Amino acid sequence: MSVVERIEELKTEALSALADAGTTKDLESARVRYLGRSADLTEIKKGIRDLPPDDRKAVGGASNRATKEIEAALAERLAEVAVSEREERLRAEAVDVTLPGVPYPKGSLHPSLRIIDEVVDFFVGLGYRVAEGPEVETDYYNFTALNIPPGHPARGMQDTFFLDDGLVLRTHTSPVQVRTMLSQEPPVYIVCPGRTYRRDSDPTHTPMFNQIEGLAVDKGLTLGDLKGTLAAMARHVFGEDVKVRLRPSYFQFVEPGVELDVSCFVCGGSDPNCKVCKGAGWIEMLGAGMVDPAVLSEAGYDPEEYTGFAFGMGPDRMAMVRYGIPDLRLFFEGDLRFLQQF
Amino acid sequence: MRVPLSWLREYVDFDLSADNLADLFSLRSQEVDGIERFGVLDGEVVVGEVVEFGQHPNADRLNVAKVDLGGQIVQIVAGAPNPYPGARVPVVVPGSVLADGRKLKKAKLRGEESNGMMMSERELGISAEHSGILLLDDSYEVGRPVSDYFPVGETVLELDVNPNRPDLWGMIGVARELAAILNTKFEVPEPVFDPSCEPTGAYTLRVEAPELCPRYDLRRVSGVRPGEKAPLELRRRIHAAGMRPVNAVVDATNYVMLETGQPIHAFDAGEVRGGIVVRRAHPGEKMTMLDGHTRSLDEEMLVIADEERGLVVAGVMGAETAEVGDETTDVLVEVATFAGRNIMETSQRLALRTDASGRFERGLDPNMVDFAMNRVTDLIARTTGGEPAPDTLSFYPEPVEPWEVPLRLPRAELLLGMPVGEGEAAERLRGLGCEVEAGEGKLAVTVPTFRRDLTREADLIEEVGRLVGLENVPESLPRAPQVGGLTPEQRKLRALRRLLADLGLHEAVTYPFGPDRWTRDLGLAGDVGAPLKLQNPLSAEAGNLRRTLLPGLLDAAARNRSFGARGGALFEVGHVFEPKEGPEGMREYALRYRMRGEMGPDAEVPPELLMGVGESNKVAGVLAGIVRAAGWNVPPKPAGFFEAKGLVERLIPGATFEPRTTPFLHPGRAAVVLVDGEEAGWVGEVHPEAAESFELEGWPVAAFELDVAFADPDPEPRFRAFVNVPAVSMDLAVVVDRDVRVGEMLREVAALGSPILAETRVFDVYEGSQVPEGKKSVALNFTFQAEETLTDEAVKEELDRVSARLRDAFGAEVRSG
Ligand SMILES: [Zn+2]
Repeated sequence: MSVVERIEELKTEALSALADAGTTKDLESARVRYLGRSADLTEIKKGIRDLPPDDRKAVGGASNRATKEIEAALAERLAEVAVSEREERLRAEAVDVTLPGVPYPKGSLHPSLRIIDEVVDFFVGLGYRVAEGPEVETDYYNFTALNIPPGHPARGMQDTFFLDDGLVLRTHTSPVQVRTMLSQEPPVYIVCPGRTYRRDSDPTHTPMFNQIEGLAVDKGLTLGDLKGTLAAMARHVFGEDVKVRLRPSYFQFVEPGVELDVSCFVCGGSDPNCKVCKGAGWIEMLGAGMVDPAVLSEAGYDPEEYTGFAFGMGPDRMAMVRYGIPDLRLFFEGDLRFLQQF
Repeated sequence: MRVPLSWLREYVDFDLSADNLADLFSLRSQEVDGIERFGVLDGEVVVGEVVEFGQHPNADRLNVAKVDLGGQIVQIVAGAPNPYPGARVPVVVPGSVLADGRKLKKAKLRGEESNGMMMSERELGISAEHSGILLLDDSYEVGRPVSDYFPVGETVLELDVNPNRPDLWGMIGVARELAAILNTKFEVPEPVFDPSCEPTGAYTLRVEAPELCPRYDLRRVSGVRPGEKAPLELRRRIHAAGMRPVNAVVDATNYVMLETGQPIHAFDAGEVRGGIVVRRAHPGEKMTMLDGHTRSLDEEMLVIADEERGLVVAGVMGAETAEVGDETTDVLVEVATFAGRNIMETSQRLALRTDASGRFERGLDPNMVDFAMNRVTDLIARTTGGEPAPDTLSFYPEPVEPWEVPLRLPRAELLLGMPVGEGEAAERLRGLGCEVEAGEGKLAVTVPTFRRDLTREADLIEEVGRLVGLENVPESLPRAPQVGGLTPEQRKLRALRRLLADLGLHEAVTYPFGPDRWTRDLGLAGDVGAPLKLQNPLSAEAGNLRRTLLPGLLDAAARNRSFGARGGALFEVGHVFEPKEGPEGMREYALRYRMRGEMGPDAEVPPELLMGVGESNKVAGVLAGIVRAAGWNVPPKPAGFFEAKGLVERLIPGATFEPRTTPFLHPGRAAVVLVDGEEAGWVGEVHPEAAESFELEGWPVAAFELDVAFADPDPEPRFRAFVNVPAVSMDLAVVVDRDVRVGEMLREVAALGSPILAETRVFDVYEGSQVPEGKKSVALNFTFQAEETLTDEAVKEELDRVSARLRDAFGAEVRSG
């Protein structure tokens, strides 16, 4: 067998070994065997200078070509094997994607306060500011300044909690409106959210509840402005399609006094068994009215120059309607089964 | 106010279903709370005569009657045993619909056919009487519909009358209101009678307390048939209106009260000694009242008495003495007006609220007395055969006159936001009983005395607006001429609540009043004195105002535990209340401030002291039990001091902490939270004893409470330059005495003021076998950073400085390795 033939044989052998090698490790041992320092082909190359000059060229050319071919095949196979090995590794790394993820903490905000935040944001968008005040109030701010002097029958309706003489737990957030009017000149545009208290406890009343009241005093404000403002608020909270209606009502510190109903956003009045509106088609939402001239005067505003409207709503009840909560008492028990739903 | 529609129809004509009428009333006047129906709604009730009546052959407790319905004899099975042959009875025929919606059918009861039903008073809606069949007298003609004599069905509207409208507490007022809404007429029956007989003047009338009694009228009706029952239709109406029939005289007074809204009292004249005296109660005067209770009266209470003894607490309730009974033949009728506020206070002090007191409280129209007196004496006379006296004793020194209120139409249009026609406004106000003169955009309105709520222009504008219809008010949306928005404090509070929720806490809202044990179990009783107390708590368990949010949240945690929770994290933002002692001698100013809004002798005294209450807004969190449940690849997280402290560090970046014992906190795991040296709140583990008394025994419980004003959950960012040179990280472990505070070590390191030390982190604290007894190992990691690449020597030198400082200050030994 000539040397050139032997080279050809080695090349064939090497290419076949490379083709059979399935791992990076196999390929490395093939490389050592066929291209390594003591490989046959290497030995042949080392012996070239000892060959007769006529053979040198042929053997040199053949051995170089064979080396290149083997190197090329090796590189190709290495790349191929790397891909399959990576695929294999990734297959082994697969996880059960249906297992739960790492539990990041998830708390909640109280449903009434979610409603308060939403209503407050709506009025802030209209240019209102948020006013706050104490929960222990004086008799004066809670009643007298609101056109409810001592001995007035409306006091009896309010089931007030009393503290030391002349102090009460506020029965509404209206005293905040009085405090605001006394401390600034008109125009006034405020909303007053907060806790209020009445001495009442049954399935539909809790001795504490949340309230949002609002007050706008300016030149030329009308009942139409009240209606439009509250209609927009109702649509903001209960959806674009709801309608509102006004009914006459009575609150000592407004005149005229009205109540505002919102059309049932669940059934629209079409379901006589509707849980939300009880088939009436309307949901009682809030009390409101044009600020009584006596209240404006008490605050030092001229009722001939300024008019205004005031309104009060119950975010607890709004949350009940909006989220489908059946029982008011749930709001104030701190029960996690309730709270974590919001 | 219960409004029987058949009664209403007597005064005003309307063609509306009950539902439509209710809607109309709700939209134009007062809210309708409900609609109640009695008797037979649809069908026929006929006067029948019992022909035969006997035992049912197959049932001991049933009877079989043959009843003549006027030419036709039907068989009816009945439960009641009281009919007899010859008795006249109301019979409802099959096919009729009863008030409960049931349709009556022909039936076979135990084998006997039954064609209809003989009816009790209750079944006809006449009274609550249901012990037997109603027996009719001979004036009822056999075969005629019973509805020829009285309505066999009734529909009652329940009006929720606003407190400013006492005129709507009578059927006449309701009829006037409906007529005004419908723009139609209403008519009230005029009493007609022929006064004769015994004069009232045989008795005397003396009003000794005119300030409490603007009007008092007294008239006698004599010759009353004793024990007479009121006619059926009258009793039926009283029952439908929600009262209980008693006897003809009392029923007449109640009937006229329901009609006019004016409470009326009748005395047995034979028991009245000398005459009627209207006076204040004597100190300590006692009266045994109709409800059987003896009450002690005082001089602030008005009494109707005779010359010898008290007969009635005016406007509230009568005594047993001189009440009209079954023997009464001679009656004195009182129709009076009392000072509303006094009646309210009396009824509150006696804890005795009656139908009458509720009406007097609102303040009644003294001019209604004349009509009511004529009406009631007429009614008593007609129903009992009595004869009204020709004279009325009347005390009415200052007659109330109608008053005039001007109404400017442009003002009405401004307030209502809609056009108001002069003619329409005038017509609407006339419908309410006003006299109106119109001209040049102005109305001169004379208000009738029964509308005491109409005293100002705005009151009249409201009346016009609601009668024209509030649905005609257009919607408009004014925008405030100012920039709206939350204050920085309000924005902070929002961010704080959102942050705590994002960190896994649940926002609770708890009651601010609680039981004595709140103070006791937190160990606060001795330290800080009594909490503020409610004078009239709903229960003894809810009488103390909280001075910290903690107990409400602990109660909630315990509640959650009792329902099977393994733990949880709650937070609340809310007010707490502290008693504040005012300066000496300030009581009088304090009361003036509280009652009249007046400031103290000088404006220097803060309102807080005049209130005697310090109120502040707090945020508190309670972590109890397992705060975060284990996942398949994460361990559970129990509550602990450092969990709570981590939250505080997020709420107030830069806060510092110093050990501080508090009665309700673990003495070794409690700290005061400081911001620039000021106390912002506390954090700690709840004392095991306190936890136990709140039924959280065995659970780790950690909590914090901060003054909201100090919280800064999302501080304004401030850029600090950084360099693009790699930082060098080095660890250092030192051994120090066990009681050395790591916080002080860190402060000492910071005090070095190293120019290249960028960050120090504590990454391990260890006590145990590798460390000598009484010592601990503290492992610190330092990040060094400079503007050029740091050499190993420079870093080593700085680290040595740190070690030396720790050694000098705390005797710290560097651990090798
Ligand atoms: Zn509905």
